[in-house]
Amino acid sequence: MNYPVWELPMGGGVLIAVVSILHVFVSHFAIGGGLWLVVTEMRANRNRDLDLRAFVKRHSRFFLLLTLVFGAISGVGIWTTIGLVSPHGTSALIHGYVWGWAMEWVFFFIEIAAAIVYYYGWDKLNTNVHEAIGWIYFGAAFISLVIINGIITFMLTPGGWLENQNFWTGFFNPTYWPSLVIRTFAGTAIAGMFTLLTAANLARGNFRGRVTRWNAGWAFFSMLGVIGGAFWYKSAIGVWDANEALLGAIPVLPVVAGYFKIGLIITTALAVIPLLVPKLWNKGLVAVLLIVGLMTMGAGEWLREAGRKPFVINGYMYSTGMLVSDTARVEDAGMAASARWISPEAATSEVRLGHDLYLAYCQVCHTMDGYNGLRPFLAQWDEETVASLVPLTGHMRALMPPWYGTEEENAALTAYLMTEKPPEPGLWPADPVAAEQLAWDISCGLCHTVSGFRPLIDSFAGQSPEEIDGFLDESGDIVDEMPAYFGTAEQRAALVRFLHKMNPPEGAGDQAAARPGGNEGRDS
Amino acid sequence: MMPAVIVPAPDALPLPAPVFLLQILLHLTFLLHLVAMNAMLGGLILTFYARLKGGDPSAPWTKLADTLSKVTPSLVAATVTLGVAPLLFLQTIYGQFFFTSSILMGWGWFSVVVVLIFAYYGTYLQSFKGRALGGSRTPLLGVTLLLFLWIGFMFSNNTSLMLNVKEWAAMYFASPKGLHLNLGDAQLAPRYMHMVLGSVAVAGLMLAWWGRARVRAADPSGEFMVTVGMNAFTWLTLVNILIGLWYYVAQPAHVRKLFMGGDITATALFGVGFVLGIVMVVAGFRGSKHGSRIELWPLTMLTLIQLVTMIMMRDTVRNGTLGADFRPATFEVQPQVLNLVIFAVMLVGGLVLLFWMLRQFYVAWNR
Repeated sequence: MNYPVWELPMGGGVLIAVVSILHVFVSHFAIGGGLWLVVTEMRANRNRDLDLRAFVKRHSRFFLLLTLVFGAISGVGIWTTIGLVSPHGTSALIHGYVWGWAMEWVFFFIEIAAAIVYYYGWDKLNTNVHEAIGWIYFGAAFISLVIINGIITFMLTPGGWLENQNFWTGFFNPTYWPSLVIRTFAGTAIAGMFTLLTAANLARGNFRGRVTRWNAGWAFFSMLGVIGGAFWYKSAIGVWDANEALLGAIPVLPVVAGYFKIGLIITTALAVIPLLVPKLWNKGLVAVLLIVGLMTMGAGEWLREAGRKPFVINGYMYSTGMLVSDTARVEDAGMAASARWISPEAATSEVRLGHDLYLAYCQVCHTMDGYNGLRPFLAQWDEETVASLVPLTGHMRALMPPWYGTEEENAALTAYLMTEKPPEPGLWPADPVAAEQLAWDISCGLCHTVSGFRPLIDSFAGQSPEEIDGFLDESGDIVDEMPAYFGTAEQRAALVRFLHKMNPPEGAGDQAAARPGGNEGRDS
Repeated sequence: MMPAVIVPAPDALPLPAPVFLLQILLHLTFLLHLVAMNAMLGGLILTFYARLKGGDPSAPWTKLADTLSKVTPSLVAATVTLGVAPLLFLQTIYGQFFFTSSILMGWGWFSVVVVLIFAYYGTYLQSFKGRALGGSRTPLLGVTLLLFLWIGFMFSNNTSLMLNVKEWAAMYFASPKGLHLNLGDAQLAPRYMHMVLGSVAVAGLMLAWWGRARVRAADPSGEFMVTVGMNAFTWLTLVNILIGLWYYVAQPAHVRKLFMGGDITATALFGVGFVLGIVMVVAGFRGSKHGSRIELWPLTMLTLIQLVTMIMMRDTVRNGTLGADFRPATFEVQPQVLNLVIFAVMLVGGLVLLFWMLRQFYVAWNR
């Protein structure tokens, strides 16, 4: 709105995800790995275990190269990327939390300096000083997390900040502590995973077995901590209605939550192997563990990010940059007048106006063919349908910001979207089940789920296909937010079959029963 | 149809400190970043030059390049770390301009992150692998240097595009794909060159310090370092006076006027900067005659004052160019005094810790 929008073919969200998931994995390693380094070094020194000490030294080089270069730079990279994709949100975070970031910078600085001194100080600094530097490193890295965690959790659960805009109210928000627990244990778990990687490169033998078991202990017991933290987090998250969101108000959420849970279980289970039978452990298993760990972490972060929709700061600012407190003004003024970057050409060209509105209000979350792609929908809709849906976007599930287009703006957005409709009519799936699913996705499924959020499962109980078909004729008369059914005859027939199968009479057909979640998984 | 000038509104949340305080922090941390960046980039350029002069492993140029290669990675770390703070304060004060220019050059700005990761690993490759790289050592160093020069070029583009407000709307409406740069701006080239050449001059001075310390520790290789360092310092400062004048000429008329009597502070800064430049060159030539017995403190103080002068002139250019589009007096301010105090205490504690660690390291290294 206030800022121009970077038109990215793959979508800004995907770019942020790629940078941040990789960063988060390595940056948590930078914290837990720091603790591993100094604790393991002390253990080696106390036991005069020269092999172990050599192992720590060897691992510290890998640690330095991964965390100092990739970890630190990709962290700056997230900041750069969110500034490009979500300048409003980034600016708000900076304004509200300048001193938080400045404090974090102090510890970032100490952390980097300590890492360098620690690495280059091997065999030069005396043992006590070297260990002290190790502790300074870990302390600084951990306090960085303590600070950043406050700002990240604030975005999802700002709590009382919405009323008083106080730094510390937002900082120690409802999910602060459980999130800190999860992230701390995630750090030590990842430290275990990466040191298992270094251990897998050792020659087979007693020492390798010993080190493998030690590292596996870090991974396994930390994973138990992560799981405990996750339960706590779930109970603390009441600020946004987790149940509603997980029921599919935000379509992608239940699926990602599923990935996250399965990921936690697999990661923990994998970490048991080297703990119990170190001999079985090899490079292949390390690779699997690291990949599953990375994906699990990614799912966890995705869950937190997706759960915030349609906000960038929950309850304060929408993804588009519109402030919640500003909605009345935007409703009055219209969408074009509230967006700064509308080209002069838009005064004379309806399509240009629609394009500029699309950039200002849709592009931040949508692409045409990629993430949250619109073209697959446009392929199945005609102009009348698009026109009837544009004013209703704010009602779809619970994940789109309000839309206050004037009639002229609605028409302009429709006109622009129609230029993006593929020239060939959309292919209708030959497979009947796929056709039924698609018929649902492009109509009822935009706002409803089968059995979760705004469920329809009971709405057609006991009705015949003819009755359901008849209902579609009247669907536009029920509430303002629901348009009349708009599909083609082919789509309509498939939808009727879908709705009919959704709640079959007792004892009939298992097909619907095998489709418990409907399309909750579709991120559309 | 000429699009109007569009400037985003400042953030709706109040600033957590008065603008002047944030400005001071911006300049102070930028100075630190600049010193580290000069050591890193200038040092890397000198390394590459030394590698090209090359010769067998015992040749002085080769030994110089080997020595410099060892420290580059840590200098990159210092540059990045010290760069975060000024970038933060810049976004706090000038966010409405900086975010806009970043988005217009989206891919270019994003490329900094990716390129930096490769460039940073490139310096570790030189440091850790060294001679094992064989014939590809110098070409790889060249690529690494090019990557860093690219990053600097993107920074120059962004910091000048954020001032080029009148071009924004036309750029954006022509294409929102984030492929713009500020190439049409006459001040881009001198701005960039001024920074790059200045970095080599300052790195040269640091090299002279290093060489002198070696000579005092009875290591004769230091003599060569002093000579190379002082040559770089003196000659490049001389060239940079000319580039600086070009930079001045490339300014829009109303900004030039500020430096020519329109604004007393700006004019004084310009005068001081010009005279200091000449004094630095003369002192550099005279001092060079003394070899490793050169007095470096006076030159270093002159250089530091010059760096501060340049930062303040740069600020004058920024605020002068933005003119009425930037009105810090209208920003709402709600000072977070407690948080400021916490930050200050942490900073002091952090510096003490940093000093302690470096001392331990220094003592151990010289044992």
